[in-house]
Amino acid sequence: MESIVTIRNLSKSYGDKEVLRDINLDVHKGEIIGYIGPNGAGKSTTVKIMLGLVGDYSGDIRIFGEDIRDGKVDYKKKIGYVPETAEIYENLTAREYLTFIGELYGMKYEEANKKAGKLMDLFGVKDVYDARISSYSKGMKQKALIISALINDPEVLFLDEPLSGMDANSVMVFKEVLAELARKGKTIFYSSHIMEVVEKISSRIILINNGEIVADGSFNDLKGTTMDSSLEEIFNQLTGFNEHEKIAKEIVATIEEVI
Amino acid sequence: MKDFGVLRFLDVFRGVFEKMGVDYPVMRKILNVKLILDGRRVSTILSNENNKKKVKEDNDKNNFLKSLWTYVLMGAFLILFIVVGDNFLFQMSFVFGVIIFLLMTSLIADFSSVLLDIKDKEILLSKPVDSKTLNMAKILHIFMYITVITMAISGPSLIASIIRHGITFFLIYLVEVILIALFIIILTALIYLVVLRFSSGEKLKDIINYVQIGLAIGMSLGYQLIGRIFNFIDINNLEFNPSPWKYFFPPLWFAAPFELILKGNNQSYIVIYSILGVLIPIISIVIYIKFIPIFERNLQKLNSAEGQTKDKSKVNIFISKVVCKDEEERSFYKFATSMLKNERTFKLKVYPSLGMAIIFPFLMMFSMNRSQISNISNTKNYLWIYMVFAMIPNILAFLGYSGNYKGAWIYETIPIKNKAAIYRGTVKAAIVNLFVPVFILVSLIFLIIYKMQIVEQIIVVGINMLLFIIIEFKILDKKLPFSKAFEVTEGPGGYNIIIGILIMGVFVLGHYILTRIPYGAYIYIPVGLIATKAVWKKCIS
Repeated sequence: MESIVTIRNLSKSYGDKEVLRDINLDVHKGEIIGYIGPNGAGKSTTVKIMLGLVGDYSGDIRIFGEDIRDGKVDYKKKIGYVPETAEIYENLTAREYLTFIGELYGMKYEEANKKAGKLMDLFGVKDVYDARISSYSKGMKQKALIISALINDPEVLFLDEPLSGMDANSVMVFKEVLAELARKGKTIFYSSHIMEVVEKISSRIILINNGEIVADGSFNDLKGTTMDSSLEEIFNQLTGFNEHEKIAKEIVATIEEVI
Repeated sequence: MKDFGVLRFLDVFRGVFEKMGVDYPVMRKILNVKLILDGRRVSTILSNENNKKKVKEDNDKNNFLKSLWTYVLMGAFLILFIVVGDNFLFQMSFVFGVIIFLLMTSLIADFSSVLLDIKDKEILLSKPVDSKTLNMAKILHIFMYITVITMAISGPSLIASIIRHGITFFLIYLVEVILIALFIIILTALIYLVVLRFSSGEKLKDIINYVQIGLAIGMSLGYQLIGRIFNFIDINNLEFNPSPWKYFFPPLWFAAPFELILKGNNQSYIVIYSILGVLIPIISIVIYIKFIPIFERNLQKLNSAEGQTKDKSKVNIFISKVVCKDEEERSFYKFATSMLKNERTFKLKVYPSLGMAIIFPFLMMFSMNRSQISNISNTKNYLWIYMVFAMIPNILAFLGYSGNYKGAWIYETIPIKNKAAIYRGTVKAAIVNLFVPVFILVSLIFLIIYKMQIVEQIIVVGINMLLFIIIEFKILDKKLPFSKAFEVTEGPGGYNIIIGILIMGVFVLGHYILTRIPYGAYIYIPVGLIATKAVWKKCIS
């Protein structure tokens, strides 16, 4: 199978704090990768390095067979990105924002406008196409972000908590979209803390903890090696966390406590 | 999408940008979006009443224009230096000194946030946009505003120069002014670049603040130097010694071409100055473009994980108990104190004015009274301490703004019994954390100069400062603290400052009269205290 992303011996540290330690990874065409790990494990950093937002790393990264280190930006034309922080120019309307992003990807205004309008319609938010994004609800904003990541028909998608704020129906549509995209040979990096979703949609799960890959395989592979039945349990076990009940009790006790 | 005339003008230089390695169409699009954004206001949750919105938007738009009038007014003074004589080297280096000073301070205070923005990076650099293009867009974005400000400052004197010295003079002046604007922006960017390069993490944010204060102070001192470079005899008969250190003084570089071209003065130092004036701006641009990738990479440090800071809340809590009796007021005092101390965007805006407030009284005192320095302690020159007040209107107005303005929803959701407590707590926090430290520092220096003879006068000034703060706060149109976004095109200033200065003048006059009354200060102190307390109760509610 064709390798879309190749990562070799990737390490990254901020000062003396090591956030990524010797990551090795091959991602193939059509895979949906559930990229999971506890807060601060290094997920976002990996994605940001691949997008060229963070530099000064050691190791090699090839995307579409090209080394991304030399400051080339052309490979980004075939990438879509929904960042966790959901930064967006809120004072623009969706029409302005999406066509702007489309044009940055090298599309013509008309083409971007048409596509964005159609996608807004399909996501059920056509009526706010010309309203400022600052007036949107969280879910609407998230849809605009997702459209901005899909508008250029990317080969690779990096999604960081893409469903946040969306209603159940939209979530269902979007999950189906992802499956369909994968069938068409797109590669998807899906980062999330909602294990049920990751379990359902991913064809391969990569668990990262303390800057290292601690598990890599399909959900069934992981189930086989850890003897747990859900991804949530696997996650807890591999990250060495088993005190949730005790902590929860203490939290409630503290809330009720009169200090 | 709207197409801006400026951008069509920019198209003329397309080739130049492409030669520099900039992706011109992409840069143009980014600039277009930036200009659209500037024209729009962030509507916060709190200002969502639709009826008022329309009116408000119009008002806000005019804010940048309003602040321009202040610059035009300041620029009008430059006419004097243009028309007064034919000693171009002196006159023009003074004019350029003033322009550089005004530009740099406005740049540091208002545009640093644009230069150090990391939101752009997240959105734009993940698209096929290289950092060179993004940075050029940022620089040009700032350049557009700085050009407008520059024109406002130099406009009056430019017109005067045609009438007085003819068209050639005017053209040189115009070109020089544009070069200066460019030079100042790049210089500021380069300074940040160096700072970003050599420090990391949380410390960096503090260092940038210190650099800003340092720059503000340095600029003020440099401004003073202009007068001293020449030995004053009379305006058309000045001596100039081209000593080596003067080669490092930018206003001279820009003033020299007037001598060279208009008077044919080709003494070697004039030629060297002129060359420097053209060469240095160009070199700085080249260097900057070279270092852009490093700049971008280091910029990321601004966002990197924060180290634990020491918990200083104990002191804070103690002071809050001293200055606030009311529980609610106390909470807002503590909240505001943390915001004032920790919020970077806020500090970027406010710290330079603090630096200026420290340096200004002395600057004015010594430049106005050079002959009296030896026996200064017998004069009433300590009244210059009132220059400290100049910072107050601006800083008070900034209390309404924050980089995290969206957090303001808490004002609506938590049950606050008395809304006045929000303002009282915040103003007190500003007094304790910003105004009092600066005032104490400046007072100490004055007390040393005056060999401790003016303690009672300083106390009077202190009381007056409190009064002034309250009055100013009353005049300002109030926003909930930290509830509005900082934006390039708007900011306090304009009328606000002018009214502030007028009130300040009243205080100075009052104080002067007071010094004529025997024991005036001692009588005033208790009266002033009671008055302050009464005004406080009445005004801030």
